[in-house]
Amino acid sequence: MKKFDYYQPKSLREAYGLMEKQKGEARYIAGGTDIIWRVKQGLIQADALISLRGIEGLDGIRLNGHLTLGSMVLFRTVERSADLARACPSLAQAVSVLANPQVRNIATIGGNLCNGAPSADCAPPLMALEAVLTLEGPGGKREVPIGAFFKGPGETCMDKTEVLTQITIPEMAADSGAVFLKKGRVSQDISIVNAAALLVMEGKVCRKCRLVVGAVAPVPLRLTDVEKMVEGQEVGPELLDRVGNRVEQAVSPITDVRSTEEYRRALSAALVKRAIQQAHRRALKR
Amino acid sequence: MTDYTFVGNEIPRPDAPDKAAGKALFISDLVKPGMLYGKIKYSEYAHARIKHIDTSKAEKLPGVRAVITGYNTPEIRIGFMKDNFALKKDKVRQFRDEVAAVAAIDPEIAQEAVDLIQVEYEELPGVFSPEEALKEGAPLVHEVDPRGKPRRDNVIQLPWNWSEGDVEKAKEESAYIVEDHYQTQLIQQTCMGTAGCIAEFDLQSNLIIHSKTQIPYLAQNDFNQALAAMGLKGKNTRVIVPYLGGSFGTGLDTHGYEYITILLAYRTGRPVKILLNRVEEFSNLSPRQPSKTHIIQGCDREGKLTFREVNMLLDNGAYVSWGATTPTVMLMPISTLYHAPSFKYNAKIVYTNNTYCQAMRGYGNPQATWAIENNIDQLAEKAGIDPLDFRMINKNEANAESFGFKITSCGLEECIQSVAENLEWKKKRGKQKDKARGVGMASLFHTGGGCRIYRSDGTGIIMKLDDFGNVSVSTGGIEMGQGFNSALSIATAEALGVTPDKVSVVFGDTATCPWDVGTHASRGAYTSCNAAIMAAEKAREKIFELAARHFMPRVKSVLKKRKKKDPDFEIPDMDFESPRDPSEFDLKKNTVFLKEEPDNPLVRVSLGELLRTAHFQNQGTMIVTEAFYDPNNTMLDPKTGKGNLSATYTWGAQGAEVEVDLETGEVKILKFVSANDVGKAINRQTLMGQFYGASVIGFGYALSEEYKTDKGRNMNPNFLDYKIFSAPDLNFPLQVELIETNDREGPFGAKGVGEPGLVPTAPAIGNAVYDAIGVRIKSLPITPEKILAALKEQNNT
Amino acid sequence: MRPGDEGGKHMKRVIEFILNGNGVSAEVASHKMLLEVLRDTFEMTGTKEGCGQGECGACTVMIDGVSINACLYPAFEVEGKSVTTVEGLVGEGGKLHPIQEAFVEKGGIQCGFCSPGMILSAKALLDENPAPNEDEIKRGISGNLCRCTGYVQIVDSIKEAATRLSGQDPA
Repeated sequence: MKKFDYYQPKSLREAYGLMEKQKGEARYIAGGTDIIWRVKQGLIQADALISLRGIEGLDGIRLNGHLTLGSMVLFRTVERSADLARACPSLAQAVSVLANPQVRNIATIGGNLCNGAPSADCAPPLMALEAVLTLEGPGGKREVPIGAFFKGPGETCMDKTEVLTQITIPEMAADSGAVFLKKGRVSQDISIVNAAALLVMEGKVCRKCRLVVGAVAPVPLRLTDVEKMVEGQEVGPELLDRVGNRVEQAVSPITDVRSTEEYRRALSAALVKRAIQQAHRRALKR
Repeated sequence: MTDYTFVGNEIPRPDAPDKAAGKALFISDLVKPGMLYGKIKYSEYAHARIKHIDTSKAEKLPGVRAVITGYNTPEIRIGFMKDNFALKKDKVRQFRDEVAAVAAIDPEIAQEAVDLIQVEYEELPGVFSPEEALKEGAPLVHEVDPRGKPRRDNVIQLPWNWSEGDVEKAKEESAYIVEDHYQTQLIQQTCMGTAGCIAEFDLQSNLIIHSKTQIPYLAQNDFNQALAAMGLKGKNTRVIVPYLGGSFGTGLDTHGYEYITILLAYRTGRPVKILLNRVEEFSNLSPRQPSKTHIIQGCDREGKLTFREVNMLLDNGAYVSWGATTPTVMLMPISTLYHAPSFKYNAKIVYTNNTYCQAMRGYGNPQATWAIENNIDQLAEKAGIDPLDFRMINKNEANAESFGFKITSCGLEECIQSVAENLEWKKKRGKQKDKARGVGMASLFHTGGGCRIYRSDGTGIIMKLDDFGNVSVSTGGIEMGQGFNSALSIATAEALGVTPDKVSVVFGDTATCPWDVGTHASRGAYTSCNAAIMAAEKAREKIFELAARHFMPRVKSVLKKRKKKDPDFEIPDMDFESPRDPSEFDLKKNTVFLKEEPDNPLVRVSLGELLRTAHFQNQGTMIVTEAFYDPNNTMLDPKTGKGNLSATYTWGAQGAEVEVDLETGEVKILKFVSANDVGKAINRQTLMGQFYGASVIGFGYALSEEYKTDKGRNMNPNFLDYKIFSAPDLNFPLQVELIETNDREGPFGAKGVGEPGLVPTAPAIGNAVYDAIGVRIKSLPITPEKILAALKEQNNT
Repeated sequence: MRPGDEGGKHMKRVIEFILNGNGVSAEVASHKMLLEVLRDTFEMTGTKEGCGQGECGACTVMIDGVSINACLYPAFEVEGKSVTTVEGLVGEGGKLHPIQEAFVEKGGIQCGFCSPGMILSAKALLDENPAPNEDEIKRGISGNLCRCTGYVQIVDSIKEAATRLSGQDPA
């Protein structure tokens, strides 16, 4: 196991100070379930880890029309919150199928996003809901729409000293449905493909559609072209067929140890179609 | 039908409480005073010359006690063809090759030192498939053979060529013939407890090694040979085996890391421990042998099999180990499952720069059965016969001989029928295509009565009774989770006449436990329980001899004492004086009694009492008995391949109902059933556990597991990317039925059942997928990727 | 910063926490995970390393009643917390906890390597949900891999444990 120093600041200011002082490679760490493994394997260099666990005020949940989640909110908490399940069902769905119970007990929403994995399961539902992320650093605070957060595999728009502190999710409209789907090789897996859909209905017609698919591009991908195909339409088999074809063209998956490019392409289409259908059904129920 | 007291019940395992409490010690838990930690440096290339190894920086690191390479240690050749070396010199032939090792005061320093060792390589072109390795002018993985003679090619000379009858003639006479190609992938045993050992030398330079092994005595032999190579000829090895955290065949060979640990222990004069972490376990242990099979089968107009021709191409990897011998086991189903009068089987084994393979539960049978049982379904279809009916037409029966294999008991018919019934075969087969659902089945044939692949298939038992009626059974067999200790304690209790709680199993020490060839080939409980029955019979003889002398005097003395205390007590009117014959006595549930007075509470002596009486007196005696059981089976004749490898055989059938998601290609199992001819269940609970567990490994083989390589490099050496089933994946009923044919050779009629549960699992699923969507995936695993690609192709044609 | 947090390759600190009901302390290096501390410093070898990656659950322990993978839990973070390992479930005179007893009775243990972690996950599940259905049980142990049992008898054991625990007086 590679050696690293481990700091436990009590405030953001202290955290920034520690980060700025480090001579070697330093990272913030939340639950650590991703970072610690990669440090053990030498996949990332870390001479110091700065834990965010002890910093107060980062794990609050506020439901006030919109939903505000502290970045350090545990998956465990999301899983068990009926309020959250109601306010943000697609995020609740994503969290419930992420990793396993032991990991969910210490892993955080913020950590999942900051890893910047194209397959991050929290990303598609939050992107479909157009969440806004609050980033704080020694230079101040800024709000970043989640669509601008991911830059590439493992890369986000954050600079080294910044901490993601909050995720703000706009209230879901009446007559809307949000769904998250994923597929892995077995029940518990990194997503081969994941997808989220948000449909806001007006009678039989879809007024607003947001579609995101993950693990098929360098970043979780907003399918804006496909969204425009759905908006203003009734959801039916003919539309879904066209959607499927368009999705296959929109994604740029790779072949890796988990799956093939061809399969991911086909699966993206299938999952997006199903996500639309299920979101549609949910919207009708609300 | 015999009524047993303990055999056939569900009895909690004797080793379970310690394991539940976290007290059971595995190799990872053992420490010795002064112990050092070893770490190994592995090759950075699949194929390269070693130009130079610079260990100077590693040696200087504080805390390092030894750094060894193939250049500063005696050469130790390993593997049954002796083409491998504990530490590599001159050349590396696979990524797993061990080129150096370090012993240090803690594992972190050892790893740091390993990272400081600099090896200069000259990369060589490699061959990464048998086809590549067979090409004209292909680079040679081994330039010379173990005797130093130059090699011409990468083909390993092994006599895997067997036949019976006349296949060519049978082809001409067949009404229907089908031919196809099948492949199976590399998969890993993934024991939850990883491999490791602790070696140390005593002051006479004898070796003591704690090892995660299934073959303590064969290992002792291997290590003694290593000692000889180290200039310690005549010194002895003591192999001690803790609880194994699973084994599944990984413990059937001795490994490079064990020899390295021995060399480090010798060099430092201290105990040294090497423990593989999960990544090393994946990348540096030997997986299941992959296979490429070309199969042709034919039948007559009525569906009776006329011939089976099988040609296999096997990727041996860089060194020869048990993977190369899997054809000797594959011969069994190929020659005998649904016995065809003519068969031909040839297996070609080729060196490559991929990982070498060795034993994994099933040992070749799953690979061969994958090809056979898929192809049987194809043949049935061509002949216009339902696959269930086809199997019934060709089913094996008891009291038959097939290519030297003597079938005694055979429950195959009941197994097939059970599967068909539990799957509702007649109702469902071919009738659910509109829902993309289907049913499929496959059968199995495996060793169940020992397995004579070595000259001895024997096992010893020493049975020691103490002054309290406790019995310790010392065995050469190994408990690796399969329930061996449980079976042995129940068999002992049943055969001797004590209760299982009085029996403790002592295993895992070559110095004190009797010889056993190895806990493999599903032979553990079968051979050890038979030996225990023999030893128990001897013990009973001695007990009853003692009873003849001491029983009545003891009873009389007890009754007299009682009379003294309680004057109203009536001593029964019995003949206490006449000498008794041993045959008058019996022993049940720890109590010795007169057969003529089985229920008389006044005329009984506990076993402990009897033994104490016999022990604590002038010229006293104690009881220790032994037995060595070597089954009535034969090795395969080296020329003809014929031989009755096992004293009896297990049979079974498995079936699946599946549903295929046509959009995602996902195969969902709706129901899985299995029926198994087990002879007799000794412990029903552990037996069911064996079948549940094996089936789940089978599901992984069929659907999700694959050790992926890229030019010889393992690409998924962790559980994140090597996917085995977790509990939620079992989202369908898994039904296991036990069929008891009461085999005459087996202990209480039992057959060995460690392996069969995963042999036909993959083809049962593959055949069901075909029923569901008319697509036959011929290479494992059956992944959604392959299904979608095949459906696409089907739509295009 | 605390005394001992000098940074550099040898950052160490004395941590104090509760281990199976007993107050303990140990000096640990900053990069150590809880698993190593439990096994090496406290010689509690019941908790196993199966993968070091948080995938297999062999290292599952409970911290303040919540199940986690000790292989990924920085030792520094356990300061002031209460840790329960499989050894902590064994009572006076070696009496097994009802969950452990159920695993023994119902065949939930074969090689035993996954068992401590599996039992801790079962405890975490039953503490929160005393009467889980089969799907909930499987979900509760979804982070514990077993290669031997095929999970069937483990699920049976947990059902049995639930029954035994429901028959007890509340602690």
